[in-house]
Amino acid sequence: MKVLRTLVQVLFLGGVVALLLRGLAGHTPNTCEYYCPFGGLVALYPLARYKAYACALTELNVALLVSVLVLTVVSKKSFCGWVCPLGTVQEWLGRLGGKLFRRRFRLPKGVDRVLMNLRYVVLIAVPVLTFTVWKFDLGFRAYDPFYILFTWGGHETAAFSFYIVIGVLAAALLIPFFWCRYLCPMGAAMDPLSRAGALRIRRNRDTCTDCGECDKACPHAIPVSRVDEVTARNCTNCLDCIEECPVEGALELSWFGK
Amino acid sequence: MKKAVIIPLAIALVILLAFATTNAYRVPTADISFVECDERPTSVATVEFEVSGLKCRGTARTFARQIQDVPGVVSFVAYARTHSAIVEYDPALTDPDAIREAFEEPILHEGKTYEVFKMVSVAGE
Ligand code: SF4
Ligand code: SF4
Repeated sequence: MKVLRTLVQVLFLGGVVALLLRGLAGHTPNTCEYYCPFGGLVALYPLARYKAYACALTELNVALLVSVLVLTVVSKKSFCGWVCPLGTVQEWLGRLGGKLFRRRFRLPKGVDRVLMNLRYVVLIAVPVLTFTVWKFDLGFRAYDPFYILFTWGGHETAAFSFYIVIGVLAAALLIPFFWCRYLCPMGAAMDPLSRAGALRIRRNRDTCTDCGECDKACPHAIPVSRVDEVTARNCTNCLDCIEECPVEGALELSWFGK
Repeated sequence: MKKAVIIPLAIALVILLAFATTNAYRVPTADISFVECDERPTSVATVEFEVSGLKCRGTARTFARQIQDVPGVVSFVAYARTHSAIVEYDPALTDPDAIREAFEEPILHEGKTYEVFKMVSVAGE
């Protein structure tokens, strides 16, 4: 399954890199922003109020937002674990960091919990700033590592934007999925639906030996060995816990934990 | 683990659905009329250009400025997703070639000229 997931990740990452290279060579006017589902969320207010899209957003952003939300209802945050190129880059950096430092760093639980709420602040702040301070311009571009990285400093980014990307990627080396965990507004938008996601990991108490290998394997620090089914909002259905579980059938993917 | 195959299948399905349904809620990026309702010519022709450089509300406004002085141009609707510009014009006064020439005209900005718009294709309606 790891191979299948990696293949899917490579496909989407390759897609945005190809888009970046074609854009830099002047072969396409479309950037990664053209396919960004978070753009669909920013588009909702002017669409409802003025029946118009802000700046370069289009109906495709809205359609992809709906797709991602439907996917979340079906399979939790699979978008993050299987599709999002920024998630993929962070995952690979996290693995590299794990090898380099021989451990995964975690912030103290209390700090971690507080910081995790920052992404809700970003989720509210970006649309509000877009329609006030940025006057319907997509001012978040200068701060959004996905846009900065995959347009290589596209329209409206500044020198400081690259420091943001470097900071986010360096942090992902130390703390797995730093951006996703603490700052990503798209992840925040998925949270409530992710909790209810139908396809989820189920632990079989009868066969589980409580070895805790799944807890160690989970890049999102979900205590898999202490629950009967994983409803945690951060679970991306990456299936790493199943891969690492030494007992056949102790963990499996299930519909609603059944 | 067989169930895991559902995940990439679900991903493929929702993305295909997104692309298949976008036209259902197509909203113009810009919709600009250059004449008052009572000044509309009796006969109006429409031409649709695909234009590289037409990619947002800002560039749509610039596009409108490029063609607004062409005699006979009546209105302009832009769709950023398809980079299309649909222009209504009075066929007695102008034609698609003149409109194209106007929007492809290089733009002077702070002493430099920029070729912002380039026609990719054209279709009459
Ligand atoms: S390791 Fe398991 S619990 Fe953790 S995110 Fe992946 S699928 Fe979810
Ligand atoms: S890795 Fe498997 S056996 Fe070990 S605690 Fe997790 S579910 Fe139980």
